Amino acid sequence: MLMVGLVDVVLPIVSLVVFALLTLPVFKVIRKTQRKTGLTLIWFSVAFLVSGAAVANLALQYYALAPSPSPLPFLNITLTGPSSADFSSAFMIDGISIYMAIMVVAVSAVVLIYSIFYMDSSKRPSERYFAIMLILTAALMGAVFSGDLLTLFIFWEAAAAGSSFLMIYKKDPVSLNSTLKYLVMIIIASAFIVFGLSIVYGLTGSLNFWAVREALMVLANKDLLLIAFILIATGYAIEAAIVPFHFWLPDAYTAAPSSSAAFLSALIDQGSYYVLIRVLVFILTPPAVLNWTFMLAVMAALTMIVGNLFALIQDNVKRLIANICVADVGYNLVGITSVTALGLTGNLYFFLMGGITTALSFMAVGLISRHGFRTFDDFAGLGRKMPFASLALVIAGLSFAGVPPFGGFMAKYLVFTAAIQANLTWLAVIGVLTSVLQAAYLFRLVNYMYAKKPKDESVIKEPKRLLIPIFILVAAVIVLGLYPQIVFNLIKPVLNQLQFIQVIP
Amino acid sequence: MAYALLLVFALPALGVPFVYMAGKKSPKAAAVLVALIALVNMALLFTTVPTILNSSGHEYIESYEWIPILESKFTLFADGISVSLAIITSVLIIVASLFSINYMKEKKNLAVYYSLLTLLSIGLVGVFITSNLLLFYFCWELMLVPAYFIIGGWGYREPYRAAFKFFIFTHAGAVFVLLGIGAIYMVTGTTDMFNAQAALMSVSPDIVRWILLALTAGFAVKMAVVPVHMWLPDAHSEAPSPMSALLSGVIISAGAYAILRLSLGTVFPAVAGTTFGIDFLHGLTIFGVISAFFGSLIALVETDIKRIIAYSSIAHMGYVMFGLSLFPSSAIVGTVAITAAITGTVLHLLSHAVSKGLFFLSAGAIMHQTEIRDIRDMGGLAGKMPFTAVASTTAALSIAGTPPFACFISEFLIFVGAFEVIQNDGFFLLPTALMLIATVLSLAYSLRYLSHVFLGHSKGESEKKIVDVPNYMKAAMAILVVLVIVLGIYPRFFIDLIQTVLFI
Repeated sequence: MLMVGLVDVVLPIVSLVVFALLTLPVFKVIRKTQRKTGLTLIWFSVAFLVSGAAVANLALQYYALAPSPSPLPFLNITLTGPSSADFSSAFMIDGISIYMAIMVVAVSAVVLIYSIFYMDSSKRPSERYFAIMLILTAALMGAVFSGDLLTLFIFWEAAAAGSSFLMIYKKDPVSLNSTLKYLVMIIIASAFIVFGLSIVYGLTGSLNFWAVREALMVLANKDLLLIAFILIATGYAIEAAIVPFHFWLPDAYTAAPSSSAAFLSALIDQGSYYVLIRVLVFILTPPAVLNWTFMLAVMAALTMIVGNLFALIQDNVKRLIANICVADVGYNLVGITSVTALGLTGNLYFFLMGGITTALSFMAVGLISRHGFRTFDDFAGLGRKMPFASLALVIAGLSFAGVPPFGGFMAKYLVFTAAIQANLTWLAVIGVLTSVLQAAYLFRLVNYMYAKKPKDESVIKEPKRLLIPIFILVAAVIVLGLYPQIVFNLIKPVLNQLQFIQVIP
Repeated sequence: MAYALLLVFALPALGVPFVYMAGKKSPKAAAVLVALIALVNMALLFTTVPTILNSSGHEYIESYEWIPILESKFTLFADGISVSLAIITSVLIIVASLFSINYMKEKKNLAVYYSLLTLLSIGLVGVFITSNLLLFYFCWELMLVPAYFIIGGWGYREPYRAAFKFFIFTHAGAVFVLLGIGAIYMVTGTTDMFNAQAALMSVSPDIVRWILLALTAGFAVKMAVVPVHMWLPDAHSEAPSPMSALLSGVIISAGAYAILRLSLGTVFPAVAGTTFGIDFLHGLTIFGVISAFFGSLIALVETDIKRIIAYSSIAHMGYVMFGLSLFPSSAIVGTVAITAAITGTVLHLLSHAVSKGLFFLSAGAIMHQTEIRDIRDMGGLAGKMPFTAVASTTAALSIAGTPPFACFISEFLIFVGAFEVIQNDGFFLLPTALMLIATVLSLAYSLRYLSHVFLGHSKGESEKKIVDVPNYMKAAMAILVVLVIVLGIYPRFFIDLIQTVLFI
């Protein structure tokens, strides 16, 4: 029965780490050759092909475990042998983790290709930057496959703290300042989480997801659990930038280079949110220490409102998009207020679409800001100056605002419908109204780009190499928006498993 | 034909890159290509007509797999009402692209313009020929984005301001529609209009009430009924005239169609017969009457040539709203044939589309030739632009409801229906009387328009010699003139089609 071994799970993670470590010596060679960019591209393509193949292998083997109508198992993969599986399991595979792993590899590959071309012009040696991206991807994949709270904590904190290297890349005072802010927040958050986890361990004697869940279900006195819950929730809320803990995010993403911002928003931001759902909703909520659906809904509403209002008043376009990232977390939170098939589908689809859309807009803004265009005034007449980058930004904006046929529409439709299903119509109404607000300020930007006269009439030649990864994501936004069933087919196995993880009312 | 309606979607979608490439070489070729695509689409729509007339269900359905997880199929559907509207829409697209050949000649970036027009046409036609709510919403929003860029990119004065207003108003309306659609899916588990209609009958009226209000409010914005009409005068008057024709002819009609099909056809039966249902219809009546008077009165005093026509559109949507409010209100057992009022309302959408399309095109022709917008500066154009004068007169008289032009017969049917309803519900007596008065107002502003523009003497010291319009513009207007007269004299074809529809 147990055909999926430890090697299968570890392979995608380890292969990325190995490639990351080999990057430094390999670049010593690449640096001496003529075709530097081409070889860089090949090297990282190989890295992602290997790790992608490893993920595909894992997915296929996992799906082969059970024929399609019967639900897939939750697979515990232990370091110490199956006898003590309940007690400590390093890795767990289920439908969600497979889906997330595929998403992480695919999006990370596109962003990395963009980064190669984006960093190409800068003087500083950049191979470390790419190596860190690989390691972060590996850490994120580790977090996705984690089977106990400690493994999850270690891998996830590695990804979260490690991403400060991407932010600090420019090494100017602004980025130093905001990275420091970010690191302080992460450290505070992890202190909260560790404290909470220690209480959970004390209560249950285990950190394994299922063992914890089952032990908590029969727990007599839930007072301590409530404290643990609040501590852990606060910690993860800080990392996911949920209002009122969101203020570090716009600073950090604006100060980071655009390729970093794209990576952070598409992977780390969505990852933080995945961890939040995994730990809070699937493991700690079922024991029903408190009915926190309402609290979650209020947080979602606040995040949507505050994120959008702050985006509304921005003058710097990159900062505007960073604020949309905050708002996006709010929209995604709407989905988990009801842990149902629909809400979960919405969440998982939102991970992908929200990630792609934010990455797309950061990439487009990165390309534009290379020519010194940063504020709304700079963007005047950009539609004629840089037609393709502008088009990509407009499509990203439409997707954010939830205009069909772009992917963002389906994501929002799913989460709002899930909210209506959970009898939280007011939340859906707030979500819909803030979407209109979003459309309004994004079209203010479009207005600047197309209606205003540019300061000078020159047409800027857009580098094709940067446009290719951007338009890969544009195509993804359109195709997955028109025919979302491609993604839903991957999500389907998750829904079959939902009966086992559903919240008991 | 087996794939007729799928092709109606696919042809323009696949055609966009070709239109763009053709437009790079010669804008004229692109315009002809757009017109050809619309012509083929019209022929494809006609192939469904025999099925609709002769089959037992009086409908034509194609269904393809789309998003099984959301119970959504790519269902394409045509019945008498939707196919009539889709055919007229195709006609207007053909006319608009032909008209653009001369009209847009001096403008830049025409390849993009025609590509956007092709994209727009998918949404314009698509919204009428689907019974899946999600697909409907896709088309509904697809009408919006290309229209925004067409108005903004090629309009007059401050076009992006008008386009922005248009976008935000109608998008805000659309999200309420989305909420309604989401709620329908939630309570019934289906996104098909007809399945939802049956399923909603067993849902608590308290929920249905909110769904009905959300949907209707959203559609009313697109339809530009007072008090959510503010986007219309700006958008319609700043848009390039072919786009104005499409906006006034199709986009606001789509709002009315959606109210008929979704609010009244799908959701309303679940609350029909209750006090709320009757109040709802009476509410529609009041908004209809207010719109008719408001639009007509402002059209009487407005001096900008296109704004007059724009306000007249608000007035006419008032008639349509009034007609819609005559929907049978009692709880009906079994199926009943469509009433005279609803037949008249749908027919009015068709005749208003062609008349208003013609009106906007002729106004565009005048602006194009004279470069004046204020009707006080015009005069005596009948001698200089005889063809345009004939076209304008036809359009204006039709809008005023004069026989034998198109709008007369449809308004007449609405009033016949109104008198039928008055026998059961005395509330409608006063509104019907008021609507009759409003028709006089529409005659007043139409005549004022004609006399200012075409009669009398030229007021400007125009050193520029004014001549009649070039050939493609003439051809475009001629098509619509013929259609306005044919619809007025022989509306049988469309009336027969419309009357095959059954509202449960």
